[in-house]
Formats: sequence, C-alpha cells, structure tokens
Amino acid sequence: MFASCTARIWHDGATMKLLIVEDEPKTGEYLKQGLGEAGFVVDLARDGWEGLELAKAGHYDLLILDVMLPGLNGWQVLEGVRRAGNEAPVLFLTARDQVEDRVKGLEMGADDYLAKPFAFAELLARVRSLLRRGHASLESTVLSVADLELDLLRRRATRAGQRIDLTAKEFALLELFLRRQGEVLPRSLIASQVWDMNFDSDTNVIDVAVRRLRVKIDEGYEPKLIHTVRGMGYVLEVGTGDTSA
Amino acid sequence: MKPLSLTARISLLFAVSAGLVLLVTSLFLARAVDAHFEEGDRHEVGGKLELIRNLFANARGKAAFDRLPQQLDDALVGHHGLVVEVAESGGNVWYATPGVIFPPTLRQACTDEPVRCAKGLLLQWDQADVGYRGEVLSIVAGDGSPFVVTVGLDVARHESFMRTFMTVLVVAAALAALATAALGWLVTRWGLTPLRQVTDLVGGMSAERLTERLPTATLPRELVPLAQAFNAMLARLDDSFRRLSEFSANIAHELRTPISNLMTQTQVALSVARNAEEYKEILYSSLEEYERMAQMVSDMLYIAQTENGPLQPGPTPVDLAEEARGLFEYFEAWAAERGVSLALSGEAQVAGDRLMLRRAMSNLVANAIRHCPGGNTVKVLLERASGTVSVTVENPGPEIAAEHLPHLFERFYRVDPSRRRMGDGAGLGLAIVRSIIQAHGGSVGVTSAAGVTRFYFELPFA
Repeated sequence: MFASCTARIWHDGATMKLLIVEDEPKTGEYLKQGLGEAGFVVDLARDGWEGLELAKAGHYDLLILDVMLPGLNGWQVLEGVRRAGNEAPVLFLTARDQVEDRVKGLEMGADDYLAKPFAFAELLARVRSLLRRGHASLESTVLSVADLELDLLRRRATRAGQRIDLTAKEFALLELFLRRQGEVLPRSLIASQVWDMNFDSDTNVIDVAVRRLRVKIDEGYEPKLIHTVRGMGYVLEVGTGDTSA
Repeated sequence: MKPLSLTARISLLFAVSAGLVLLVTSLFLARAVDAHFEEGDRHEVGGKLELIRNLFANARGKAAFDRLPQQLDDALVGHHGLVVEVAESGGNVWYATPGVIFPPTLRQACTDEPVRCAKGLLLQWDQADVGYRGEVLSIVAGDGSPFVVTVGLDVARHESFMRTFMTVLVVAAALAALATAALGWLVTRWGLTPLRQVTDLVGGMSAERLTERLPTATLPRELVPLAQAFNAMLARLDDSFRRLSEFSANIAHELRTPISNLMTQTQVALSVARNAEEYKEILYSSLEEYERMAQMVSDMLYIAQTENGPLQPGPTPVDLAEEARGLFEYFEAWAAERGVSLALSGEAQVAGDRLMLRRAMSNLVANAIRHCPGGNTVKVLLERASGTVSVTVENPGPEIAAEHLPHLFERFYRVDPSRRRMGDGAGLGLAIVRSIIQAHGGSVGVTSAAGVTRFYFELPFA
C-alpha cells in the first residue's frame, strides 16, 4: 500500500528526511520502519541529548519528538532546536493526552500533537500535512483526478462530464480526498476535518458517509477512485485495487 | 511555638477572667467600705459640731463661758481620735484638744467663704503626719460673739483597716483565680472527654474500615456538626474508594477478554506455517482488537481527566441548538441508512466547554440512533426551565428494564452482559456523558416507558 503512495508525495523530487526521538525501543523501531516504508528517510534517536545533537547537525524536514525522554525531555529538545535556529516542523508524541501538555507544546512552538496510543495512519497523515504546510502550492480552484473534477468556486462536481449532486458535507469530504490524493486518511482525521468532530465515536458514521459518496462518484464509472484500506482508513487514487476483503 | 493545649488554654482563660472579676469586685467593695467609713466620720463630726454649737448658743454670761471648756471636755471624752478647736473670730484659739495644733488655713477658709462656712465646710487635712477629715463651722455664742469651730477626726485607723482589707481581698482574689484555674482544668478535661472519644474513634479508622461512622446520638450538641461533616467526608471517601476498586476490577475484566483473544489467536496462528494472506488476515483481526482496546484506554483516560480537573480553559457560551444541528449533519448519513430521522426542537445556551458538551450530546444521539427502530425519529429537545437547561434525547424502541436504569451511566455497564457486539463500543459512552455533565455541575438521567426511551441531562443556566 505504502509503495503506491511513495511516488506521489515526492512532487519536487527531493526525499523528505525525518528525525524520530523516541526512547521506547519497539515504538521507535516500528515508527522508523513504517515511515521508511512510506518513503521517508528516517533517523532514530534514543534519548534527548542524542536527538538534539542529530537535530542540530542534520537537515531534517520534520522532527517527531516523544515528550517523556531520558536526558532531555521533548520540550527541552524543542527549545534547543529552536534556539539553534532550526525551524523544521515538530510533531509531539505523548502518552499523557492532557490539555496542559497540548497547550504547553503548542506554546513552545510545536506544530502538532498526537496522543498515544495513536493509529499509524493518523501519524502518517499528520506528518504529510505538516510537510505540505511548508510547500504550499498555488491554490487551484479546480481539483481533479482521472475524469473527476471538483470546481471549488461554483461548488460543482462532475465525473466524465456528468454533473453529480453532492450535499455540502459530501462536497467537503470529496474535497478532502482530492486535496490529499494517494494518502490514506484515517476515519478520525476525516471526522475531524469534515465534521469538526475531534473525538473518536464508536459508530461507523464515517464508513456510511464514504460509502454514500462512493455510490455517487464511483458507481457506473471506471476507474474506481475511493478505496478502503483495511484497518487504516480510506484513500482516493487511481488504479489501486481495494484492499478490503 | 507549639500552640497551648485546649485544656491549658481554657484553664488559663478561666484563671485570668476569674482573677479580673474578683479584682474588680474587690475594688468596688473597698470603695463601698471606704465610703461607709467616710459617711460615719461625717456623721460623728456633724454630731459634735451640733453639740458644740448648742453649748455655745446656750452660753450666756461669764459663768456659762467659764463652764464651757469643761463641758467640751466632757462631750469629747471617749471619742478617740476626735480633735476640736474653737477660735475667736479674731484668730485667738479659745479652746483646743490638748497637743493638737490646727493649720490656720482651716480658719482662713472659713473667713474666705463666710456664707458657706455658716453651714459648715467639709475639709480634709494632714497635721503632723496624721490625716484628718473634718468640718469647719462658724457659730454664734449666746451673747452674740462669733466663733469658728473646727472638728477633725483622725482617719489613720480607717486607712490601716483599708490597707489590711485590700491585702486580704487581693490575696483572696489570687487564690480564687488559682482555684478557678485548677477547677477549669478539671472541668475542661471532663468537658472535652467526648472530643477525646471522637479522636480515638477517628484514630482507629483506616481505608479498610471506611464503612464505620461516628455515632452522633451520644455526642454533645456542639460536636454533632463536626461528626456529621466527618461522616459525610467518610461517605465520599468510601464511595470513591469503592468506585476506584470497582473501576480497577472493571478494567481488568474488560482487558482480559481481548488480550486472551489476541494471545490465543496468535498462538494458533504460529502453530502451523501459513501463507502471507493468512498472516495478513490475522494481523487485521488483531488490529481491530487493538483499536478497541486503545479506544477503551483513551476513553478511560478522558473520564479520569474530566472527573479530576476543572474545565480547561474555562467556560464559554455554547449554543446547544447549533451543536445539535452540527451533530445531525454528522450522523445524517448513518441515521438515513438505518431509516432513522432526526428532529430538533427548542433553543438553549449554556456556559461550558463546547467540545465536551458536543461529545456528551454526540454520545447520546449515537446511542439513540443505535437503538431506534427504522422508520422512527430520534428527537433532541432543548428546554429552559428556571435556572437550568435540559437536553433530552429520545427514541422510540423497546423499553429498558427498570432495574437497569440506575446503572446505565456507570462505566462498563451493559444491559446484556453477554452481548459485546462490534460498534457497541467499550461501554463507556454514557459514563463519558455523565463525567462531562458532572464536570459542568449538571446531572444526568434516563427514563424508559411507554415505548420511548429518554436520556437527558440538566445543566445550570449561566
């Protein structure tokens, strides 16, 4: 799955370099493996001092910091990095999903925050979103993939030239998919971006909403665009088989 | 410095106040005695003056005048400390108690104020280290010649009596104060016995015996509020302890099933060599189980935070109707798929945490949609009563048995313990609602009757 999106995120040809500072050995290894397989070059530091040294020496596009670290903690690493004039985006990981932590991290210049346990797809989506922030391309008013077009100004969607009627939320959902083509979007991210629901609901609301959108834009057309990535979420792209059973 | 013990403090206060009261009483007493003496003196002096005036008034002729000194001596016999001087208006002393010389200022005073002197001038003076209290009076003899009579009374004996009297009083006061202190100590010790008993009872309590309560019936009235407050605190502690241990038991129980599933599944998977597709399938299945556990853990953390902390960053105005409409948009597709429609009535604003309130309403709406038979409507009613705002989420459907109703908001409570379907969540949805609403100072409730189930919460109206 990751191989198929790898090609798509390197629009400028450069490979993105990430630094993970994480002391929990298993977590660190899996994050490194997962992000590596998603096409990033990943370095892993085991404690705060090592992390700070690496962050200052290497030119990383993004730092992923655990808060609770031996040596320096995540905040102190961030402080050191910022003092050294490094403005790379920083994503914090912490087991303590308390509001104070979030507020503190954002005040200190962290760019995003993820509470453990988190879904890997969620991390990947946030990493890509942070990396994209630095490379904002010219805002296009028409988004498209294959023969699907979304006109943001006129609020119109067409597939193979045929007008498709979408509700406001379906339009917003499709816009999210089109803006993040090739990325696996976890359900929690979709709920938060489209409906501003920032907590996990124990319902399959997102599945139903995506299914309805799918009926409108994919039924009767080829190729299929929206795919279920089992255990992770949904992706909009051309030509990948659905991984759902 | 260590504060004085209650007993010492009360005994000391007793002693000081008793001492003060006695001292003041003594002063009044001394003053009264002194005044009594003075009154007696004046009376005696006045009587003598009257006598002398009469003697002189009746003295006509030389023979009578010659008899006067003898008469005066007779009149004064036996009056210890009484001194008399009779002077002619020119200043010659005509008669005087032997050995006593009066200061001339006394007569001078009479000369200065003749009118008042005719009625008698009250005076006090010292003569040869002896204090006198007396009176000066101008009189007229039977032959018309004027005289000035001074009668004085030695007050030394009164003064010495007063000194002794005061000494006795002060000593008595001091002794009484000491006695009061000692009594106070005893009385306080005795009076504080119930407090010591309470202390002993409280000291014997421990986390294992939180169900014990202080007996309020046998306590003195003053200690009852203390005991009641303490009992109330015990009840809260007991409740918290009980909930905590129940909670731990629940967590263990809830985690045991998925973990044992995962272990068995993994062991079975590893027991035979399989192809990649099969391994993948097993991993997917594990992932679902992990996700459920992760959801449960974060829900529990959320509840713990909500229950323990104040609202962050503080209450802001929340339009509940707007939130409900947002939720309807979110649940629209899911509800439509189940053939359930959504309806909102009423308007209400409260002060609170928007995200938390939205989550609480979301859980109730999701719950209602899940249990609403197709073709029916889930209704959200917003109402404002005096001082409160109530939010009711109702759905028609099978009634919930009455015995379950009081427990529905408890963590992990399930109406049917054997049922643990996917999509039913970890059984924490309603517990989250309760913790959110309680954090807002509100209350939650549920009714289920006549084919309609209503979950509601009430919030204090800001």
